[in-house]
Amino acid sequence: MQYGMIIDLERCVGCHACTIACRAEWEVPVPYQRNWVKRLGPTMTDDGMASTYYPGLCNHCDKPPCVEECPADVVERTFTDVKTGKTTTLEVAATWKDPFDGSVQVDKDRCLGCGACADACPYGARYVNPAQADDNSEGKVDKCTYCKPRVDQGLVPACVQTCIADARIFGDLDDPNSAVSQYVKKGAKGLEVQDGHIGPNSRYYGNKKDMGLLFADYTPKLADMGSVKRRAMMASMVKPAMRKAKDIGILGLAGAMLVKGLSEDKDNK
Amino acid sequence: MAFNLTRRKFLQTATLAAASVPLSKVVSASTGVTKSALDTPGTAGDQTVVGGICEMCFWRCQLVGKVRDGRLMKLEGNPKSIDNGTAICARGNAGVKLLYDVDRLKYPMKNVGKRGAPKWKRISWKEALDECGSKLKNTVDQYGAQGICVFPHGASAKYPMHYFERAVGTHNVSEASFFQCRGIRDTAYVATIGKAPGEKIDMPNTKVLFFIGDHLGENIHVSHIKQYIQGLQNGAKLIVADPRFSASAAKADIWVQIKPGTDTAYMLAIMNYLVQNDKYDKEFVEDHTDGFEQFAESIKEWTLEKAAKECDIPAAQIKEVAEMLAANAPNVAIHPGRHVSWHGNDFQRERALACLTGILGAYYVKGGWVPAKGPKVGGVSWKKEDHGHKYDLNYDHHEDEKVYPYNPPGTPTDLIRDCAISGKPYPIKSCVVWGQNPMQTIPNQQMMKDLFNAMDFVMCVDVMPTDVTAWADILLPEASYLERYDYIKTGTQWDLSKEHQQYISARMPLVPPMFERKDQIYITNEIAKRMGHEAKIPVKTMEEMVDKNLATVNLSIEKLKAEDGIHIQPGKDPYGIPEEFEVRLFNEDIADTGHPGAPTYIPVPDNPKGFARLLYGRAPVHTFNRSQNNVWLHNAMPDNPVWVNDEVAAKIGLIDGDTVGFVNSEGVESATTTTVKVTAGIRKDCVYMYHGFGSANPLMTIGVGAGVDDTSLITKLAVDPETGCHGMRNNFVKLIKNGKVLDIPA
Repeated sequence: MQYGMIIDLERCVGCHACTIACRAEWEVPVPYQRNWVKRLGPTMTDDGMASTYYPGLCNHCDKPPCVEECPADVVERTFTDVKTGKTTTLEVAATWKDPFDGSVQVDKDRCLGCGACADACPYGARYVNPAQADDNSEGKVDKCTYCKPRVDQGLVPACVQTCIADARIFGDLDDPNSAVSQYVKKGAKGLEVQDGHIGPNSRYYGNKKDMGLLFADYTPKLADMGSVKRRAMMASMVKPAMRKAKDIGILGLAGAMLVKGLSEDKDNK
Repeated sequence: MAFNLTRRKFLQTATLAAASVPLSKVVSASTGVTKSALDTPGTAGDQTVVGGICEMCFWRCQLVGKVRDGRLMKLEGNPKSIDNGTAICARGNAGVKLLYDVDRLKYPMKNVGKRGAPKWKRISWKEALDECGSKLKNTVDQYGAQGICVFPHGASAKYPMHYFERAVGTHNVSEASFFQCRGIRDTAYVATIGKAPGEKIDMPNTKVLFFIGDHLGENIHVSHIKQYIQGLQNGAKLIVADPRFSASAAKADIWVQIKPGTDTAYMLAIMNYLVQNDKYDKEFVEDHTDGFEQFAESIKEWTLEKAAKECDIPAAQIKEVAEMLAANAPNVAIHPGRHVSWHGNDFQRERALACLTGILGAYYVKGGWVPAKGPKVGGVSWKKEDHGHKYDLNYDHHEDEKVYPYNPPGTPTDLIRDCAISGKPYPIKSCVVWGQNPMQTIPNQQMMKDLFNAMDFVMCVDVMPTDVTAWADILLPEASYLERYDYIKTGTQWDLSKEHQQYISARMPLVPPMFERKDQIYITNEIAKRMGHEAKIPVKTMEEMVDKNLATVNLSIEKLKAEDGIHIQPGKDPYGIPEEFEVRLFNEDIADTGHPGAPTYIPVPDNPKGFARLLYGRAPVHTFNRSQNNVWLHNAMPDNPVWVNDEVAAKIGLIDGDTVGFVNSEGVESATTTTVKVTAGIRKDCVYMYHGFGSANPLMTIGVGAGVDDTSLITKLAVDPETGCHGMRNNFVKLIKNGKVLDIPA
């Protein structure tokens, strides 16, 4: 099973209901967001005057670059298939791709809040949520979960439920009969990166000029892995210290190193 | 270090938020995920409270609330709704942030400073009501009931409006929803088909959708959008006439980039083409219209070529649109519009829309204009009393007729304002503002300030501080739509071709009011008691009113709650034309008042050299000027970038993202600035911005000064001659960048 979401740009009116419902459902603090709507155009394209929207969210990629970069120690974790009850055990860091439904998730308890995964995401779909800070961090990485806690209970994602034009369709891309698969057959496409293949599973459907405008404006490049790796390395150096920072009193030093690294990354962008 | 500072700042605000919303430690065994205590729990496990009806705009979607530990966490569409379903828009979703807005009015306040520059002192409800009651009573005793003027808006303003109109007896009541929005549409259709049109076009089942100036997608009403999108999905063609490539134009088959103000000429040419080429519905015209000959004669000058020149669009495109309409008639949906007060020639435009629908035979047919057959529920309010015409400003005593013959209910705003400022023909000395913000709804802000300065007493009732509340002597905090009983909402399923159903719902509180907020019945009744009208009070509480209204259809609050907030019953087939239905293509009565009996184009003033016409419209995440302080909505759309044509921008040296202010042709400058959006999607002779931004009240800590207040630039008054409603798009602006005024090239 691979969960996926289709956004039908022929239906979408760019109203932001999805982004605000998500904010309410998951208490996403302003100015951060798990999903977003950007208005594109109006602008003249080769196919005529065009204007559309980029409703973006985590793509729950086939090969998520964010997962690879997580510097947290790996642990064994048992996953359960909600449908069948089957279990499997994998070694994962603080973020992983679910072996049963293909969604990409974060373990807030083990997240270091370093932001390496957020930097690795070419779509900017992750952020460090300061509302989820704990003794060890200034926040935890947060992102769209495809509303897994809701979906596992048989509900639809909050953005899908509130979409006023039924422009968001959620389901299993591995099931050829699902509505999302039908859209893929009709031509729904993910915003694949320019310089690689990571297999985004949130996909867009629309007419030629609107799709052209979206893909011209928002096809991303893979992140500069050099700076991502540096941030991950800094985080892993700081990591053991974080746990006992208060006792051994080196938080100031480690924190200063981390912050310096972070702000350099930011400046370099 | 900017990154770190930002994070710290939000850490602080987040800590405040966290104090009121404890993170759940519940781990759901039924899900595949073991939740961290750090994860927010989501609302699926929260208590569901039914009975909500949205008022973030006035479409009134049915809601449920998700309540956790007494706190409203989220609003959702009521799953039982056959109108909006589980969907609500961005504003609806952000209702939570209106409810808990820290800037909301909390206590009655007295202005101990100046009007417009207030110093607020908290007072008790008793003191506030005593003061309102005695000041208003003094006005009536000294100047008569006509000494009070009322600016009401919204569901909560209906009961007090009725009180002042019916029991007190003033005619000087002006609702923004009529005189600055849709009143023209309603009266023009009443004069043509005998009914106000609403937005009752059967979009899901139509073959052609025709929008003049409608920008659905930016103007969001949930079930209306459902109809629109379903129509397009079902293969309907979309024609959009708009100077701007709007959200609707982006989905259109034909975009008519029309010159502003010329829409009526455009429609006359379409209708003339249909008549001249025998492409109108002869049978319908024969059976259901009146005055066809005079109508045809009156519009015959409007050739395609003449309209093409006037409207600045290709003649071939006018013909293409006319042919498309004719080929698909009668299954064509011509949208009557919503905010229609544009140029002061709007009654005739709305008449043209109604007549075009008529000659295409598109009334009561699938995909045409079809009024759904919903349930009728009785309404309890103040008893109607006749107060004569003596002090009706819209009544010309010499001529024994109305000044504006087709005015909507109430009195045209400018008649009231002129009278209040001049004291002629009689003094108006008290002003009641209820849920309306006349500083940002009524053109010419200086005149509005002059009105307030001419008053002995001004009271405002609202949920939030707004630009007008700064002008109050007494400011009263009202319970919001989420905290009070109010308003019966009825309707049918949104797709009329589906199983016929009707629904009845009522606004019921999802949470109790906090602080000292009160509802409109309490406030009105307490004032009425102090003004000597206690015996006339129709209901004691809002709950009693809702129950009495529901009783007319054998329902009650209790029964509605047991039915999850919505009562559903079998409906009726809405298609099929009533025998007596008639479209007055030429209307003798209108002609008798000295106005054109057939739809007529009245040209509007052209741009003065160097100026662009100021156009404005709606944003999908904001309602008028009511939602800019909402932290979630502000984040989604913090200001209103001005659309400037790309060629114009290149000539005057503007680039995307530049910061600009405005000066209008009367020399009024905008108090704030906004950014430039350079786009090919607007005509060269106009600029466009979303309405409602740039609030001046510093008590709105988020919305104040964000973007530019378009209304502040609308100082040239245009008034529709038939209705007395404002036209607000005959104002012209130049842009100011870095202190330099930029001429707009012709």
